[in-house]
Amino acid sequence: MAEYSCLIVEDSPMMRQLLVFALARVKNLRVTEADDGVDGLRKLASARYDIIVTDINMPIMDGLKLVKRVRSDPVHKDTPIVIITTEGSQEDRQRALQLGANAYITKPIQAPQVIATVKELLKID
Amino acid sequence: MSHDRDDRGRQGSEPPPDLKKERDQFLQTFAKGTKLEEFMQEHEQLQQRSRELENENARLRATLEENDAMRDLVHKIEKLEQEKRELLSRFREAEALSTRFSARFEQVENEFSNLANLFVASNQIHSSLSPRGVTRRIKEVLAQLVGAERYGVYLANTEGTELVPIASEGVPAEKLVPMLTEGTRVGEAFRSGSAIVDEECDPSQGTFEAPPAIVPLSIDDKVVGAIVIFATLSQKKRFDTIDFELFKLLGQHAAAALVSASLFAQAERKLPGLEAFLDLSV
Repeated sequence: MAEYSCLIVEDSPMMRQLLVFALARVKNLRVTEADDGVDGLRKLASARYDIIVTDINMPIMDGLKLVKRVRSDPVHKDTPIVIITTEGSQEDRQRALQLGANAYITKPIQAPQVIATVKELLKID
Repeated sequence: MSHDRDDRGRQGSEPPPDLKKERDQFLQTFAKGTKLEEFMQEHEQLQQRSRELENENARLRATLEENDAMRDLVHKIEKLEQEKRELLSRFREAEALSTRFSARFEQVENEFSNLANLFVASNQIHSSLSPRGVTRRIKEVLAQLVGAERYGVYLANTEGTELVPIASEGVPAEKLVPMLTEGTRVGEAFRSGSAIVDEECDPSQGTFEAPPAIVPLSIDDKVVGAIVIFATLSQKKRFDTIDFELFKLLGQHAAAALVSASLFAQAERKLPGLEAFLDLSV
């Protein structure tokens, strides 16, 4: 059975906990947490991930910069990225998709939607 | 010999008896030959007829066999049709079962998601021992889990006549003023201790005058404040079951967490000594 790894980049501990709970429902998915974009890049430099789930609004380095950096990294340039946005931030969402994000989830997040999006991008039944 | 015949012919019209006999014999033989030929022809015809009948018989047998094969085929088709009907019926049953399982699975997944939300909310509210930290977490629950866009957290003054805002989001400064507990909708919820949630209207269109949700905050059955949601995010068009559960959780835990954190801060973040727990009489 293939094992997948997911990196969650989110500054809110509550949202991180919620995402970890949701993604625990995906079989054989190992989840790693990062507090912000910089922490996310640090973790991406030390390990390979099959998918990245990131918030857009974060201190130090936001999700848009992270998407840009990941797409220019030869190791992770093809790694699927899911962004988490608020309904009002269409511009951020568009920008993130233009920069190479693969999908987006709007807040308040629903676990079934997170699971379905991640499974679809990882091509898990 | 020929002379004799000529002589006899000449002597009378009657042939001599021996010749007559010979002639009769010949005629008889001839007649027999003719008969034989007729027999032969008849035999030939009978043989022909026999062959025709044999062919006819063979044809009839073949037709009969074909009919048998046809009957078998029809029987087989009927059997297959029946089998098809049974399979279709079983398929429909399996499909209905699968739909039921899918619906149940979805229900369980949603239930799990709701429980996870409640667990995370409760866990977060109680994970800080600073009043600021607790307030930040309450705001986060309101924004991230409930989907509130404009809201305020109010605590009652000692007299219980006014509700004073202690935290808010998206509320203009001029609206952030103490509210009377008499004669206002928020005050009504505060005094009754029961949440007021407008289930009919779209909460994203809520106003300061008509907030879609007012949740009283209690500690040990004493109402000490209220959370007022003035409007939700534009995509949040109605409150779901989980929102009502979150309101209940916030109503029962938010004030307790705030008060605990305040007392801890007043005690200069010193944990109570062991003696504080020794006389609990339990």
